Amino acid sequence: MVVSTPAPPSGAAVPPSAEWIFLNRFAYGPRPGDATALKQQGTARWLDEQIRLAAQPDPAPETRQHLDTAVLRIKYDAGDGWAALDEMRPLRTLGQPVDALWQLNEPGRKQPYQERVRPRMELAAATVIRSVYDPAQLGQVMTLFWHDHFSVNGADSYTAPALPAYDLAIRTHALGNFRDLLEAVATSPAMLIYLNNRSSRGGAANENYARELFELHTLGRDAYLNTQYDRWRDVPGALKGAPEGYIDQDVYEASRAFTGWSIQSGQDLGGYKAPSDGRFTYIEGWHDNYQKRVLAAEFDSYQPPQTDGHKVLDLLAAHPATAHYICAKLVRSLLGGEPSPDLVRAAAATWLDNRQRPDQIARVVRLIALSPAATAGWGARPKRPLELVASFARATGTPVTASEPLVGVMDSAGQKLYAWPSPDGHPVSDDYWLGAQNMRARWTLALGLAEGAWMPPGLAASAQMGPAAGHSGQAVAFWSDRLLGSPTAIDAGALLGGLDLDADAPPRVDNKTGEFANRRLAAYVAMSPAFQLR
Amino acid sequence: MAFKPLSALNRRDILKSLAAAGALTAGPGLGQLAFSTPGMAMADDGRILVVLFFRGGMDVMNFIGPSNDAVYIDARPADLRLLDSGDRAGIALDSDLAPGVDFRLHPEAGALHEIYRQGDLAIVQATGLANATRSHFEAQELMERGLAAEPKGNAALGTEGGWAARLLQQMGGNGGLTAVSTAGGVPRLLQGFPQALSIPDLRNGFGLPGGAGTQAVLERLYPGGGQSAAFNPDVSRSGRTALDAALRLNAALPRGPDGKVAAYQPEHGGAFEGDIGRSLETVARLIRMDAGLKVACVDMGGWDTHEGQAGRFKGLIHQMSGSLATFWNDLSDYHDRLTLVTVSEFGRRLRANRSGGTDHGHGSVMMVLGGGVAGGRLLGRWPGLQPQDLDERVDLAVTTDYREVLATVLKHRLGITQFDTVFPGFRPGTGDPALFRA
Repeated sequence: MVVSTPAPPSGAAVPPSAEWIFLNRFAYGPRPGDATALKQQGTARWLDEQIRLAAQPDPAPETRQHLDTAVLRIKYDAGDGWAALDEMRPLRTLGQPVDALWQLNEPGRKQPYQERVRPRMELAAATVIRSVYDPAQLGQVMTLFWHDHFSVNGADSYTAPALPAYDLAIRTHALGNFRDLLEAVATSPAMLIYLNNRSSRGGAANENYARELFELHTLGRDAYLNTQYDRWRDVPGALKGAPEGYIDQDVYEASRAFTGWSIQSGQDLGGYKAPSDGRFTYIEGWHDNYQKRVLAAEFDSYQPPQTDGHKVLDLLAAHPATAHYICAKLVRSLLGGEPSPDLVRAAAATWLDNRQRPDQIARVVRLIALSPAATAGWGARPKRPLELVASFARATGTPVTASEPLVGVMDSAGQKLYAWPSPDGHPVSDDYWLGAQNMRARWTLALGLAEGAWMPPGLAASAQMGPAAGHSGQAVAFWSDRLLGSPTAIDAGALLGGLDLDADAPPRVDNKTGEFANRRLAAYVAMSPAFQLR
Repeated sequence: MAFKPLSALNRRDILKSLAAAGALTAGPGLGQLAFSTPGMAMADDGRILVVLFFRGGMDVMNFIGPSNDAVYIDARPADLRLLDSGDRAGIALDSDLAPGVDFRLHPEAGALHEIYRQGDLAIVQATGLANATRSHFEAQELMERGLAAEPKGNAALGTEGGWAARLLQQMGGNGGLTAVSTAGGVPRLLQGFPQALSIPDLRNGFGLPGGAGTQAVLERLYPGGGQSAAFNPDVSRSGRTALDAALRLNAALPRGPDGKVAAYQPEHGGAFEGDIGRSLETVARLIRMDAGLKVACVDMGGWDTHEGQAGRFKGLIHQMSGSLATFWNDLSDYHDRLTLVTVSEFGRRLRANRSGGTDHGHGSVMMVLGGGVAGGRLLGRWPGLQPQDLDERVDLAVTTDYREVLATVLKHRLGITQFDTVFPGFRPGTGDPALFRA
């Protein structure tokens, strides 16, 4: 019988091993044996291998195989111009160039919303698969970091056809050079559509992209000095050609620099009609050609095509505020908690020293990963839902494939993969991730994965457990070791008490699957506070 | 389907239903109540404040515009402003805000106009942050933290969380379901109030996965009362709060014979439309549960209209107007206790861009809807649109600090007289927006 008062928590005051922590930060959690292997190999060699893997143009064969065999349901009712559909369809849009998918977006073409935003669903599903199975774990972590940094809402039917190409662009440069990444984003149809630069023309330019380019993509909000200075020359350092930050005047001028950076979408260009395929194009006739001044640098009138925009990107990518802002965000995202100022300074120095190098970002990540802070401060940050899902699947061997309901529950747990509604990306704040609805959905994720709610048959628990399968106390210790890095990290008494189970008794077994209790015990360990942390 | 009106449910019914569900005897925890907060000396008369945040910078000039102003007419194409004649003319507003200026309301805002006409809705023109930020994220954050500018040094202490959280600390809890956000996560407005709940939707209930077994396990994994084993106390506390919310809400929701949550039917007609409708429906349900709701924070996004604004804006105004009117009419039994106030981080540029949209501007508008509101009027001070009257020569100037309106609401509706804590560094001005009837 259950005791009515829970035993005081035991064991959990001891953090898991450094390797365990490291693999929860620079990968999507350890598989059985990974922590031991990392200890033998050493972090530096692990990083070399991960950086090498991330640079491969093609996914690893095992990743390829999982992506190739995945099918994702698509279902809709009959509508105006289309028949009802309910089918399991392979992931066909991944890696497709924008012109191959542009018809999803064609004006006047009648298509259900589910078809229009299919690329977002496929990319989200593929991301779950990759985060579980891809050997290039660090590349996966960094690709997601940049997707959030350069956030685009792909659940918007306009941006959706450009999303797979956008992912490829980000993936290619995720550990590469920031200036290259910045230009890949600036010329990507997804960003041009999302932040409206595609329609920006001289006369009254559209400021959306330029504004977020400064605030979110490069210099950062701390360098926005508009409440302090009205004129560019008043910004400290401006008269020496090195302004400390930016004001609205810089945004206005930069937006003029990007006029004419557009996509081919059937525009009437004065007797000439552009093709409609969504590809990047530069429309000279829309460009504001007169002189400009951005960050105290003068731009001459009538520069060659795209020179104005390139120059803005050069200035922003090279600015010390960009180095500081992005490095602080990287440290915070990878390690959690308040970033150490010394580490941020060191990372920013490495960032600036290597800004001409093709592996600039990898060098910065390496510095962070090899610092003592890399494995300090366990538990400072809650896992994001994808981290929760992937680390559970990796630790338990639960098979994962494409699933629309899984993506939906991750969504309601707060992580709207490729569908965050504003350009700032998901919040860093813990409060956001720990809302009541988000917590409830986190628990649903753990239980649903273990029990095969979305991907039958779910966790094959007993097969892995050996003698522990027949002993409730040992079963909890087994899953505690797998999921939390130590057999005593969870209060087994409290957990079993809730189930009215005696530690010495065998877990109750479901007659149909033979699994019910053991896999549920695994899920409960994953629903504990400790598994929410990284 | 048998439908028990939500208004018939009172706190005792909820307690009964909880007991029937076994929740009250399910073990430690529930009784210790993450919900309960130390009471302050204030009388609890059940006042409810709803803060509706229009995220993205709502274009006031396209919502309530000076239709006959020559500068205005020159600055914008016809589909991005209010017209004083023709098929798409704006709704004329009875107002004496600025003599000779014909303020019109967007033609899709008919339902809102009806409330305005009835005198329950007041609108304050040219509100916002006094400073010149045109960053969404900076402006939203300052407004949610109740600040005018980022404080330096010691002044920054205690200002990280939201003003609504500090307000709740001051009001004290009553052991109920005190503060709710209809966003998926807790917004900055409520950060710092640990019992704040995020509940986007109640149409499918708020149950836990896995039934009674899971519930019993979670009760022990998230024991509350600071006993948790986690390294991060926020996680433990949030889990406890979510667990309590799930138990309370799920048991209290009326269900049909099939066990599904009964559809919500607003009284007095109308319909909850779109995301804003879903959110306001959730708040209406919670209010009708009489479970102690004091503050609800509702977000409505989609206002960042740099491109193709006319069509999108029309849809948003329609949804907002219809849903707000539905909400107000539905909750007629609660009018004496209910106040809803709207904010947006800024308005948009007076002059349209060449993408059929508008860029980040400055002055905005706030609406106050509630019992005791001296409505049917445009309030504040209209700064005018001549170049020298504009903020930085481009945008509608701010003439009323957004905190002035909020403080007036807090004073008249919640009895708050000390604003230092809620809005650090703020001293109410002498200008009385005359929002409320004496």
